[in-house]
Amino acid sequence: MNLLLEGLVNVFQWEVLLFLTFGTILGIIIGSLPGLTSTMGVALMLPLTFGMEPVPGILLLIGVYFGSVYGGSLTAILINTPGTPASAATVMDGYPLTQKGQAHKALTISTLSCAIGGIISVLVLILVAPQLASFALKFSAPESFALALFGLSIVSSIAGKSIVKGLMAGTLGLLIATIGLDPIGGFPRFTFGMPEMTTGIGFIPIMIGLFALSEAFKSMEDIFVEKRVNVVIEKVKLKWVEFKGLIGTILRSAGIGTFTGMIPGAGADIAAFVAYNEAKRFAKNKDEFGKGDMRGVAAPEAAGNSVTGGAMIPLLTLGIPGDAVTAVLLGALMVQGLQPGPMLFESNGPIVYTLFVGMLLANVLLLVFGLLGIRFFTKVLLIPKTILTPLIIMLCVVGAYSLGNNYFDVVVMFIAGVVGYFFKKFEIPASPVILGLILGPMMESNLRRALVMSQGDLSIFYTRPITVVLLSIAVITLFTPLFTKKIMKNS
Amino acid sequence: MKKYMKYSAFAIVAVLLLAIAGCGKDNSDGAGGKDEFPKKAITLISPTSAGGGTDAAARALAADVEKHLGQPVGVVNKPGGSGSVGMTEGANANPDGYTATMVIAELTMLEHMGVSSLNQDQMKAVAMINLDPAALTVPADAPYDTLDGFIAYAKAHPGELNVGNAGSGSIWHVAAESLAKNAGIELNHVPFEGAAPAVTALVGGHVDAVTVSPAEVKTHLDAGTLKTLAVMSDKRSDIIPDVPTFTEAGLESETIATWRGITVPKDTPDEIVAILEDAFLKAAKEENFQKFMSSNGLGIELKSSKEFTSFMDENYNYYKEMFAELGLSGK
Repeated sequence: MNLLLEGLVNVFQWEVLLFLTFGTILGIIIGSLPGLTSTMGVALMLPLTFGMEPVPGILLLIGVYFGSVYGGSLTAILINTPGTPASAATVMDGYPLTQKGQAHKALTISTLSCAIGGIISVLVLILVAPQLASFALKFSAPESFALALFGLSIVSSIAGKSIVKGLMAGTLGLLIATIGLDPIGGFPRFTFGMPEMTTGIGFIPIMIGLFALSEAFKSMEDIFVEKRVNVVIEKVKLKWVEFKGLIGTILRSAGIGTFTGMIPGAGADIAAFVAYNEAKRFAKNKDEFGKGDMRGVAAPEAAGNSVTGGAMIPLLTLGIPGDAVTAVLLGALMVQGLQPGPMLFESNGPIVYTLFVGMLLANVLLLVFGLLGIRFFTKVLLIPKTILTPLIIMLCVVGAYSLGNNYFDVVVMFIAGVVGYFFKKFEIPASPVILGLILGPMMESNLRRALVMSQGDLSIFYTRPITVVLLSIAVITLFTPLFTKKIMKNS
Repeated sequence: MKKYMKYSAFAIVAVLLLAIAGCGKDNSDGAGGKDEFPKKAITLISPTSAGGGTDAAARALAADVEKHLGQPVGVVNKPGGSGSVGMTEGANANPDGYTATMVIAELTMLEHMGVSSLNQDQMKAVAMINLDPAALTVPADAPYDTLDGFIAYAKAHPGELNVGNAGSGSIWHVAAESLAKNAGIELNHVPFEGAAPAVTALVGGHVDAVTVSPAEVKTHLDAGTLKTLAVMSDKRSDIIPDVPTFTEAGLESETIATWRGITVPKDTPDEIVAILEDAFLKAAKEENFQKFMSSNGLGIELKSSKEFTSFMDENYNYYKEMFAELGLSGK
């Protein structure tokens, strides 16, 4: 407790506050631009921190990290363009809300959920990090395979009207995911001799194309018909009663997010989809999901942002980076002479607790900037389509290019955009494709790695408790919608 | 409002004038001789994505080399295809010295893996900067404390020891295969996506050993959860000076290591290569860069253009044999 107070004092110094604020704002901007991911933002700012003191330097990076996870949902909600993979799930209900003219409300929910989710995860980090860390270590290949399979089973709940179409889209994602070097054998698959294809088709260009570019194509259809503003912005604010109804969803999603963040190899994108699925599972009235349900925004947002605190748990307590962003942070900590691991808390207690307070503050800053900014963010919708559409297309191209600085990604993005346009015409949902792309490689490599480890013995999948639990949930999730439909028909 | 416009107009004119003045200075300074290189910003291609060790080293080095070249050096990430995408682009760039590439050990392996036809002959070496050898690391509570002990255990339990590596055909996979070959033991190789997940699995007790660089396990060695038995190099690692080399531990072994260096396209004039070589080697010797590398656990190994060229050729021939022998060759 004394350490926390000390941390509080250390954080409230103008230099620290300045860099944290700067980092958070920069993060929000980076996150909202498609193609610029959290990892890239943090990595780009990294050299800047070399010459800084440990606390402001690390908090600058943490600000960028937290801010970018939040920033991605702004564009997801307003213009159907997920800025980062973490907000791919937010699109499903966020954009429909905007189309209904409730952008203001959707952004408020997103900001509140993000901040609350983030704060909860940091509190978990402060209070029970060491106890949870050992649990994270129990995750190995069979557990990760089971988690990926569970994630994929969500297809049945995000499929929308037609489960068959959803499964088709999910399968397409899985098929695209097979392109590239075989994760275990290292043999090139479906690469047609092109070196760009050996690492596989990235899901970010596809995500930008499927969601953003296809939406831009669609709005071109009526660009000359409808000269005026595309949607009316109703000044509907979020009511207290409505928020109260969301608290359960937010808390549950924050738990899911923190837990997912802890697991090596699983990040905000997976957490958001899982939380969305659970929100739907627990909802009494499921009809509004996919058409603009507030819970459909709160769940992925709270989960996505609470991954941040969760991911810090194995990083700080064990020195294990769970994903790419925390790997960069690991480097940043080491440059500052802070060696993450069990000894960190003892040798550098004051600094660690200062970082904790800084993380809490970063989430408060998100809340403040988010709520203050909503009025300005929604102005995007006032831009006439004749200007907004070309702007979005430009953003798509720049975003896809900046990802790896090559045109191949731009071509992939355009193809995905055209495919996405026809998806819209034939009412095929796009989210399952992304889900398949994210989880396909994780599932394949872990399934095969598990079998390599067990030397081909299948018992590895039913003798490990976590694996069994996750696999059972996956089966239940996959078949629930089928049964509920049947039961409803019968009754 | 008008006032502000006036101010900004002033500002713009001032900036433009400065820029023009700057250009003028450049031209007059570099009017004669070969000394004029570099006249403009230099691009350094990093064939990995932002955030990895290669990228971090490239960025730190770029910041330090600027002083010596007198021009900004910008790092551009071109990840993909085990580094082949970025390195191919670097090999095909204009041979004027303005595009350099941070090459990685894969440059001498890609052709044997069947991923790409790229090899070191399509580049001209500038300088080697870093080298990190493979090291055999096991959990701290493993029943053996020496390389001999490990080998004896493996002989008693053939094929039972799971050894994690950074992916099939990766340098750390080659290291484990080479250990198995030299010691005459049978190991079960488990590929992961990079070294970090393999180390995580070792800490979690899901594999029995890893053959990655000391830098990648340093945190856990300090924490006492892992122990390194021996280093696959002809000399001990600076990070863990107490750990013997394979030869010292009683098993003859080649040096198997990951390395990073700077190259330019093969038609770049030698004068320009010399300027770059001088600048990069100077920057790498400075305290700033040394501190960055040591705090990240990365070993510094400097080689001149000439030494780097023959080093890469040796590597190329060794991996050619190795890959054919292990049946890893993609062709």
